[in-house]
Amino acid sequence: MIKLENISKRYEMGEITVSALDGISLEVGKGEFVVVLGPSGSGKTTLLNIIGALDVPTEGQVHINGGNLSLTKKANRFKFRRETVSFIFQTFNLFPSLTALENVQFVLDMANEPNSRDKAMAVLADVGLGDRVEHFPHELSGGEQQRVAIARALATGNPVLLADEPTGELDFKTGIQILELLKRQAETGKTVLVVTHNREISRIADRVVELSSGKIVSDGPPRTGKAEIAELQW
Amino acid sequence: MVNWNMWLRWSWRDLRARWLQVTAIAMIIALGTGVFAGLGGQEKWRVDSLDESYERLNMYDLRLKFNDDTYVDQAEFEALGLEELPGVEALETRLVTQTQVDASENGDDILVQGLLIGVDVAAGNPVNTLYVPDGNGRLLADTDIGPEKNIAVLEWKFADHHGLEPGATLELSGGHVVDLVGAVHSPEYFQIIPEEGFFIDDSEYAVVFVPLATAQRLTQHPGDVNNVAFLLEDGADAAAVQAEVESRVSESFPARGFEIDLRDDDPVAEILYSDAENDQVTWNTVAFLFLIGASLGAFNLAGRIVEAQRRQIGIGMALGVPRRWIAFRPLLVGFQIAVLGTIFGLGVGVGLSLLFSSLFETLLPLPYWDLSFYVPGFIRATLLGVLLPFLATLIPVWRAVRVPPIDAIQSGHLVAKGGGLSWVTQYVPIPGKSFSQMPVKNLLRSPWRTVLTMFGIAMAIALLTMFVGFLDTFVATIEQAEDAYLHEGADRLIINLNSFYPSAPGMVPAVDAEVQPGGDKQAVDSDLLVMPDPVGDLVALAQGDNPLLAAAPETALFLGGRLIAGDTDLEVALELHDMATAIWRPDLVDGSLTLESGEPGIIISEKAAEDLGLSVGDTVQLEHPQQSDEAGFTNVVTEVTVSGIHNNPLRALTYMDSATTDFVAERLQIQGVTNYLVVQPADGVSGDDVKRVLFEQHGVAAVQEIADISEAVDEALKIFTQVLRIIQAVVVFMAFLIAFNSTSISVDERVREIATMFAFGLRIRTVTRMQMVENLITGTLGTLIGMGMGWIMLNAMLVARIEEQLADFKFEVTVAPLTLLVSLLLGVLTVGLTPLFSIRRMRKMDIPSTLRVME
Ligand SMILES: Nc1ncnc2c1ncn2[C@@H]1O[C@H](COP(=O)(O)OP(=O)(O)O)[C@@H](O)[C@H]1O
Ligand SMILES: [Mg+2]
Repeated sequence: MIKLENISKRYEMGEITVSALDGISLEVGKGEFVVVLGPSGSGKTTLLNIIGALDVPTEGQVHINGGNLSLTKKANRFKFRRETVSFIFQTFNLFPSLTALENVQFVLDMANEPNSRDKAMAVLADVGLGDRVEHFPHELSGGEQQRVAIARALATGNPVLLADEPTGELDFKTGIQILELLKRQAETGKTVLVVTHNREISRIADRVVELSSGKIVSDGPPRTGKAEIAELQW
Repeated sequence: MVNWNMWLRWSWRDLRARWLQVTAIAMIIALGTGVFAGLGGQEKWRVDSLDESYERLNMYDLRLKFNDDTYVDQAEFEALGLEELPGVEALETRLVTQTQVDASENGDDILVQGLLIGVDVAAGNPVNTLYVPDGNGRLLADTDIGPEKNIAVLEWKFADHHGLEPGATLELSGGHVVDLVGAVHSPEYFQIIPEEGFFIDDSEYAVVFVPLATAQRLTQHPGDVNNVAFLLEDGADAAAVQAEVESRVSESFPARGFEIDLRDDDPVAEILYSDAENDQVTWNTVAFLFLIGASLGAFNLAGRIVEAQRRQIGIGMALGVPRRWIAFRPLLVGFQIAVLGTIFGLGVGVGLSLLFSSLFETLLPLPYWDLSFYVPGFIRATLLGVLLPFLATLIPVWRAVRVPPIDAIQSGHLVAKGGGLSWVTQYVPIPGKSFSQMPVKNLLRSPWRTVLTMFGIAMAIALLTMFVGFLDTFVATIEQAEDAYLHEGADRLIINLNSFYPSAPGMVPAVDAEVQPGGDKQAVDSDLLVMPDPVGDLVALAQGDNPLLAAAPETALFLGGRLIAGDTDLEVALELHDMATAIWRPDLVDGSLTLESGEPGIIISEKAAEDLGLSVGDTVQLEHPQQSDEAGFTNVVTEVTVSGIHNNPLRALTYMDSATTDFVAERLQIQGVTNYLVVQPADGVSGDDVKRVLFEQHGVAAVQEIADISEAVDEALKIFTQVLRIIQAVVVFMAFLIAFNSTSISVDERVREIATMFAFGLRIRTVTRMQMVENLITGTLGTLIGMGMGWIMLNAMLVARIEEQLADFKFEVTVAPLTLLVSLLLGVLTVGLTPLFSIRRMRKMDIPSTLRVME
């Protein structure tokens, strides 16, 4: 599904070169739920952005879905983001002047889906927001906003979900609910990558990719042992 | 201790970060202050220069004009000793007659009407003194007086337009050739306003000055004068002198009608002074609207800067920084923008004032121009230019520092908030998909900016509509006049005779007065006894194998008069035609050409009817000349009934049916004569051919093709249209700046949203399209409001002008549909297309960074 070959990303800042990613190779299969773990500044967001074609690597190859799409072309990256990946952000990034429903409808309309309203309703009901559809983002709590963001990502129907610190702005309980929601998506066959700096959270995944200073330092089951979401605490 | 260095550096960074918006606003401010500074002094320039020019050239204080065709003997008049009256400093007797002027040179046909003015060179031309600008030859001198000498100087504007220099010759009515020795300014002709007729261009009217004796000889009025100009002593009571002169003259010349005008009534001076004043009002309005537009822009930008700094402001407040310190930074930015704009503006102002002063010197040549740098205008502009935008930044800053710190600090307080009027959309369904709804919602989200942007655009469009409306109204009025003149007999020529002649040919033997043996003065003076027979001559021109004219001339009468209804009265030009046979008849909007009763009926203009409160069937007092026993005219009053109202916008035009014989015979007492002919060229003969031949005829004072009127008008409109183009461009540029400013602020503010859209794969062109829809909405609303405002301003300004100086016309305030369409398109398109300028910025956007950085 996703295949990274020797990816590096460097930022030239005058004299200094910041190496955000350094020789990353990674494969993620269909329906996998992977947590990318690492301290702040270790390159998690950069990695996610490169997978999501928001950013281009300085070196290395990205193959997604067989990889016949060259992501060096800007138009292809737009198409890829439209059809293959969906982002969920730490700060939600909902459109503030659209209601919850409209935020979801927006991406459906973008794909020219018929009956976008009904479909958006259905997705929102799925994430447990069936009764808040007419509310504006500023009228919703952080958790609710993040659910809308997830609904928005799901509504695209794209096979890959990329979530960057989706619980970063949320309290523990709400965070747990969001993670459950994301994990369920993997069970329905989507590939889900969740980025976090929180080791505890990473325990819910079968596979944890740990980053440090732009390098993968481990890739496998959670080091501190796998846990059910209900067992987590932080 | 305030660390100025740090503050200035900090605000400088703020400016640099938004340099495009800052420049846009500074440029709008520059336009406003520039117009204010550059043109704020134009009234003073013009008024001072006019005052000085009139003073230097001894502009008359009183002017006595005998009626048309009424002359007095110069010696007899001078015997009245009017220059001895208390308060009179000097007087000059003159002879002013209409003439045709042929200035054709090198095959170039220059055949125009004009005036021949005999000035008292012998007395030193003490009043309305002529002035020769450097390099334009010389003045008339005593040595130019003599029985064989035809030496003349020509009014400068006409001479300049046709390149007529000293050494050139002119042919006047009667075939007299005069030699030019100079081109002159005369205070009575700083601008050309013909005695009758609708509109005339400087280049179509020649005023020829000759020594009085020469004029008397050329016009066969030896010893006669008909026009006297008085110069009064400082502080003299003009009205008292006027009354005294009036009583003395009417006592000595009881049968001669005349009128005495005060300098204040001089139509040329009146127009020049009130133009200066009204133009200033117009320019001030323009400048003010620009400044308001700039202030709205500054308000928007300041609001945005403050919003972006909201968190910092909150942190500052949390740290206990005093509010005035917090407010200082954004205010400094506003102040700096204002100062920057004003500095640009002073540059624009200097440029404009140079441009306009050179324009004035060519458009309104005066012997003296004072175009000194107008300091108060610059000071006013600077103050306004700095203050208005600065005050505009004060409001959002003040609002920001009043927010409780906790709200300001709260993460995402503003970013995540829908805000504004977004809630409206919950109650007002907007059709279409969420895509098409987004622009509307965005507008509602920041209603203030939307409204301010809209009004900024409205200001620009209002200016555009106003100026174009001026032109349209003018054009529509002219077209209506053309229609009125040309609805029938469009190829006709009208001929003013220099006197009354028998209207039936051959009644009097055609004796050429000029070659009359002995030159018996009595015989020459009495027009009706010995004179040429122009009607007979023209009848001959309509006969033969190759006739020049289609038919014998229509004989008509052309008289000055006055309509009096209650307290109001106005001067009219009265034409008497035989309505049954006339080549052209007035086109009526009401009533009929003649009264069935056969009583004297009069046809007046709509404007006259309006001003005098008359309608068809009403009676009105008509003051008109009446021939008295002694070859002169006195003014009498006859009550006449309004039989019809015609559609010519010129108020003064008044018509009667000359078949109302009672009126002509009993009231005018000039039966069987004519002074005004109407002819049509024969097939295949051009108007110019007819003009050239008629010009040679004795008794012909002026020949005009009726169609020429519109040509003169078109010529004059060209300048106006060019000025308009410049204004249009400036205004469209301003609308663009305002829209650009607002769009770029929006992009700024929504940069995260836009990045999110990109993250979902929305294309740049889709985002741009959404912005364009948003702008189209603001643009359309702003344009519509602007057109409404423009219409109101146009009416207000025209009404003000009409009351003061355009009372002679009926103006129907008009904005042509095409004009509206152009305004609409310009406004909407300019504003709508502005987002295209943000494409580059979006293309260059670093999406990851934009999404990463929270605040
Ligand atoms: N646009 C940029 N310019 C310079 N350095 C950057 C940029 N974006 C990220 N970095 C650097 O790359 C490194 C990795 O950043 P990031 O991927 O955001 O880390 P994480 O998400 O793990 O906190 C950091 O050291 C960061 O400073
Ligand atoms: Mg990160």
